[in-house]
Amino acid sequence: MTIRNLCLVFGVLAFSAGAALAGVEVGQPAPNFSLPDTNGQTHQLSQYKGKWVVLEWYQPDCPFVRKHYGSGNMQALQKEFTAKGVVWLSIDSSAPGQEGNYPADKLNEIASGQGVARTALLLDPDGKVGHAYGAKTTPDMYIINPEGKLVYEGAIDSKPTTAVADLKTATNYVKVALDDSMTGKSVSQTVTRPYGCSVKYAQ
Amino acid sequence: MNPLFPIRKLVTHCASLALCRASLALCRASLAPRPASLGLAIALLMTGTVISGRAQVVDGRQLVKAQLVADTQHIEPGQKFRLGVLYTIEPKWHIYWQYAGDAGIPTQIDWQLPPGFQAGPLQWPLPTREQEPGGLEVFDYNNEVLLFTEVQAPQQLPAGPIELAAKSNWLVCERQCVPGDAQLSLKLNDGAQGPANQDIFTKYSASVPKPGAPAGYSVSMKPSDSQMVVEFAGVPQGSRLDFFPVPPENVVLNHGKQAGNSVVLSVDGGAALDRLKGVAVVESNGKTDAFAVELQPGGQPAANVGGVSTDLVGVLQAVAFALIGGLILNVMPCVLPVISLKIFGFVSEAGERPDKAFKLALVFSAGILGCFAVLAAIVTFFRAIGAQVGWGFQFQDYRFVLAIACLVFAFALNLFGVFELTVSARATGGLAKLAAGGGYGGAFFQGAFATILATPCTAPFLGTASAFAFTQPAWATFLIFFSIGIGMALPYLLLAVQPKWLRYLPKPGEWMVRLKQLLGFLLLATLLWLSWIVGRLRGVDGMVELGGLLLIIGLLAWIKGSFWTPVSSVRSRVLAAMSMVAVLVVAIGSYLFVTAPSGLSWQAFSQQSLDKALQSGRPVFVDFTADWCITCKANERFALDTSAVREAFAQNQVVVLRADWTHGDPEITQILKEHGRAGVPMYLFYPGGKDHPPVVLPELISSQTVLDAMKTGSKTVADARKAS
Repeated sequence: MTIRNLCLVFGVLAFSAGAALAGVEVGQPAPNFSLPDTNGQTHQLSQYKGKWVVLEWYQPDCPFVRKHYGSGNMQALQKEFTAKGVVWLSIDSSAPGQEGNYPADKLNEIASGQGVARTALLLDPDGKVGHAYGAKTTPDMYIINPEGKLVYEGAIDSKPTTAVADLKTATNYVKVALDDSMTGKSVSQTVTRPYGCSVKYAQ
Repeated sequence: MNPLFPIRKLVTHCASLALCRASLALCRASLAPRPASLGLAIALLMTGTVISGRAQVVDGRQLVKAQLVADTQHIEPGQKFRLGVLYTIEPKWHIYWQYAGDAGIPTQIDWQLPPGFQAGPLQWPLPTREQEPGGLEVFDYNNEVLLFTEVQAPQQLPAGPIELAAKSNWLVCERQCVPGDAQLSLKLNDGAQGPANQDIFTKYSASVPKPGAPAGYSVSMKPSDSQMVVEFAGVPQGSRLDFFPVPPENVVLNHGKQAGNSVVLSVDGGAALDRLKGVAVVESNGKTDAFAVELQPGGQPAANVGGVSTDLVGVLQAVAFALIGGLILNVMPCVLPVISLKIFGFVSEAGERPDKAFKLALVFSAGILGCFAVLAAIVTFFRAIGAQVGWGFQFQDYRFVLAIACLVFAFALNLFGVFELTVSARATGGLAKLAAGGGYGGAFFQGAFATILATPCTAPFLGTASAFAFTQPAWATFLIFFSIGIGMALPYLLLAVQPKWLRYLPKPGEWMVRLKQLLGFLLLATLLWLSWIVGRLRGVDGMVELGGLLLIIGLLAWIKGSFWTPVSSVRSRVLAAMSMVAVLVVAIGSYLFVTAPSGLSWQAFSQQSLDKALQSGRPVFVDFTADWCITCKANERFALDTSAVREAFAQNQVVVLRADWTHGDPEITQILKEHGRAGVPMYLFYPGGKDHPPVVLPELISSQTVLDAMKTGSKTVADARKAS
């Protein structure tokens, strides 16, 4: 009995340690990072202290990402909130040789064709930042407040499908969380289950 | 003992009713399949499918083919049948389970059924837990999977074909993800009769997690801060444990990790859940048990989804039946007459001190309990040994069910009086010596002795109870056996205090034998249920195997009971032993002969496969046969599957087709008619391609007939070629 309990305690401890390594928690400071964007410029999270920041995990070939870009849904959201001073950072964590890992020029070409309104598209081919945040899917969304704390993590909206028709009836969690938190209200849904393709980390 | 002997013979059998009930309660507690599906199991079989669906093509490969399938071709009003979507998935790609894991989307099916049809919940076979790059984990299916449901047809069905439809959406991923969907439909009642797609429905039903923990296992959830600790009890040591969660919407769970006998899960960025639905998986000795549970903190599984587990109520029920069973053991022919003798003994030994009579009875009872403890220990011991070497003492293991079925049948024959069990004098001699002493020590061994002497009467019930006890954890086994012992000891305790009550004991008589035989039928009813389980696990062949086994056991028991009794001569016994060995040799020989795989590489016949074979220009031999046609089977075994024919076929590169008419395939009926035959067997030999008519062989063939037909055929072909 005691030995079994001991095993259990060790198991729980080992597991907690593992869990702590991956991912972030709402209410806690968001981990800092430094990544180049598609134009060669480096962005640090800490440089945006005092501003609202949205992190959007992105991979152009994922059908879930295509749903939101092909319909213009994501661009509309980017436009609305960058206009309000929000910093919108898209992050591509696809490893070399994996789907969605493109040279910067190609990514810029895709972006200009789609009329994106993000602040920057950051390149994270070794997946370091993806792992630090525990990003699992594309899209996977994070909202960071001006104090640098995480206020939302999870899905873009409430309809986990690839069908554009579902956008009309879906609740956009990111918009709701941004609207609420930027007007001083508490965010009702701080964590949701992200949906999409898996982030294409290195094998 | 002498005057008691005939009565002892009588006594044996009454205990059975309560004991059987105890054992049935035990097995009820341990078996998930519900009898409600019995009718369904018998009714199943058939085929009829229509494929439609938007192709989802990457690099020229269609990634997922979806097909709507039913387990029948024809539905009767009010019938329950199974309807499913069969997904054939490109190698290395996968589609997702009801909880996809870190990424992906659960596969979705919307049934579109005509008015009045009702579909049940979707059944999900056990998925695999797959690692993706970057430490992501998903629950998915590879290669092929059937997601299905049970559909209830309305009481009134329109005449003519019935069209069922479904829309399915899925996401299929490998290194990239591609969404797919299909609009599927299927026409039933279109003329065809009979079952369909039995193989796939059987295969995938078997891998759907059973509701509730199987007997002997239990799963509970303990909250530990923010984590949910899913604890497994009763599982074999060193089992690999897993828990596939089905979390509520928008809850993200971290990957479950095994720690000792637990799997630890936690909610990503949130408090622990107060309820956890999911599938518990126990892998031990190459065997996987998966069962659906809904857990609540505090230990007891929250209302198991439809199943029964070894819960407190179940065990209490089994204990109550065991007590009654033990009590009934006392009216068995070998026990009943002993009671009054014992009581008189205690009373006279106690003399003027009535409390001593009670104390003696108490010690005597301890002796009875001692015997039952030994029995429980033996069961537990063998169960532990069995678990070590990988035997699963579970109703999911058909070998275990076969063994129990044989045991139950043998005991039923014993109750009918086909053969008797006898306790060897040598084995009981030592105990008898110990029991001969007076005082408390003597009383203890008298209790043990009485229990063993009663075995010829009690074995059928104790044996059956022991067999079912194999599926129970040790503590339940001991509890139930002790309850039987207490039940058996109860009259001694009561009567030692109140010897006057002896007159209320029923009188031994012929009624005991009749009761014993009646109880035999109860065991046969149990056998019916066991054969149904074998049928579910192994199909028709398994049930026939069971029937064959029982036949042999019956024959052996009859030989033993008739020619090898305590009064038979040595010569009779030797002959009996030799006949028994002969029966076994013949039985094993016939089994091997019947089940030997065919040495010919048969292909399934259809007009299409025949045309294709003929186009190749090679000679073709077609065997028109059916499972129920004994002549066909004999021909195949003795004429076709012989070395001479095999060699001739191989030399001439003959394509061998088998046309199976078991279910009356209309295409085959048509060809039989064309050759003037009303049924099978029929054998056609096409000597050379399309241009030459086939040689029709007679119904009864030998190897020589086949070789001759081949010769005649090739000669006509050669002549024709010469002439042209």
